[in-house]
Amino acid sequence: MATTYDWLRATLIKEYSLDPDKLVADAPLEDLGIDSLGIAELLFNVEDEFGIVLPPEAVQLPTVGDVVRFIDELILTQKGHVDSLNPVAPLQP
Amino acid sequence: MRRVVVTGIGVVSPLGHSADQVFEAARAGRSAIRRLDTSFARRLVSPIAATVQFDGADHFEPAKLRKLDRVSQFALVAAKRALADSGDVLSVADCQRAGVFLGTGMGGINTIDDGYQTLYGENSDRIKPFMILMGMHNAPAAWIGIEHGFAGPNLTYSTACSSSSVAIGEAWLRLASGDLELALAGGAEAPLSLGSLKAWEALRTVASIDEADPSASCKPFSSNRSGMVLGEGAAMVLLEPWDRAVERGATIYGEITGYGLTTDTGHITRPGIEGQAQAMRAALRSAAIDALAVDAINAHGTGTPANDGVETAAIKAVFGNRAAAIPISATKALHGHLLGASAALELVLSLMAIRHSVALPTMHLQVPDPACDLDYVANEARSDVTIRTMLSNSFAFGGTNAVLAFRGGAVRK
Repeated sequence: MATTYDWLRATLIKEYSLDPDKLVADAPLEDLGIDSLGIAELLFNVEDEFGIVLPPEAVQLPTVGDVVRFIDELILTQKGHVDSLNPVAPLQP
Repeated sequence: MRRVVVTGIGVVSPLGHSADQVFEAARAGRSAIRRLDTSFARRLVSPIAATVQFDGADHFEPAKLRKLDRVSQFALVAAKRALADSGDVLSVADCQRAGVFLGTGMGGINTIDDGYQTLYGENSDRIKPFMILMGMHNAPAAWIGIEHGFAGPNLTYSTACSSSSVAIGEAWLRLASGDLELALAGGAEAPLSLGSLKAWEALRTVASIDEADPSASCKPFSSNRSGMVLGEGAAMVLLEPWDRAVERGATIYGEITGYGLTTDTGHITRPGIEGQAQAMRAALRSAAIDALAVDAINAHGTGTPANDGVETAAIKAVFGNRAAAIPISATKALHGHLLGASAALELVLSLMAIRHSVALPTMHLQVPDPACDLDYVANEARSDVTIRTMLSNSFAFGGTNAVLAFRGGAVRK
């Protein structure tokens, strides 16, 4: 079963053609070629994928692990729980 | 003033993807205007356009492609082709003194249209994060600067249908004055979204479809003309000082020699004879030549009822009795009106016409118009025409009249 971390890894590999071996939790996103625009795009997709609403202001997320923690905290706040083995299903439009 | 020459050409156009391709198509009178087969074509009164055979995925990685409106894709590919065509110019150029000058009338209209569809059509607030950077008019030029490291001026001109004439003219001025060492100049346009096409239709400037032959729907200078046909694409030229081009043994397509710019102050869309004539005179003054030196003219020639008669009268006002002896070509009958990219594509066609001693045809000139009684090279290219110097006219909504003067590549000091 996929975790938030697994989803993020799969998304980054697919959408940014990243090398899976370099995608570890403490890898800096800038070093992976994910700049501020990439993060903005990623977070847009996070809203759809996890059915959560992100705060409108910019956030500093230097590493892959920071993104995962950020997502999980929002899920916890907005959904009341994080099932690390079953990411929250996307909301239906 | 330094002499400035064209040493690289890059095109993404309805007529083809190289200077040779577009020239051969134009010489043969092959129109790229087609009946549109897009999903929204049924909503158009006149579903015709000149489209480009182009898939962004062939040119860009997915992560980058997602940040590029179609207009920026066209611009980037055209700029890359112009640089490749120029040889090794980047190995001798100072990129701190290299500029990008790009014209576009509609900018990232596809992105804007998509965003509004989300917001108003789907009543959703899920606007994609890149809408601003994809939709902004200066995105195509900015991406070119980033991709090639051109760190001098990066300027976007939006003067509707004369945008790329202004871009090339302003680049020429910067190079001629010695400010810059290198420039990529031209235009890009991708105006074939539903919103854009409907807006142009609403203005009643679009040609009625020729049911017998949709490819012949744009009929410049013909009495039965009914309007313009929109096209898409990009054309970029590499400009550099003549002496360095010679020094590095570059192919010289031609020399930009002058640039005239005036404004019609009478009306936002109605063209004016005096403003157009003054722009041509200004180009002649700028090039330090008189009217006798002009061997051929690339007309603005949109095929609208308003433009073609006024442009004819303006040419007569400048050239007097000699006007009827000058071959005038209106190639929009073939590639459509690329709005902000038209002038750049027409410069490319004109430079190739000079090189091949050909006057390009004005196609679909089926019924002579008494108000348009000059030599438009009707319906068939003319070979063995000695052309040294040309003018290219571009006249815009908003009144910006821009005229480029140029001569062929076989120039000597």
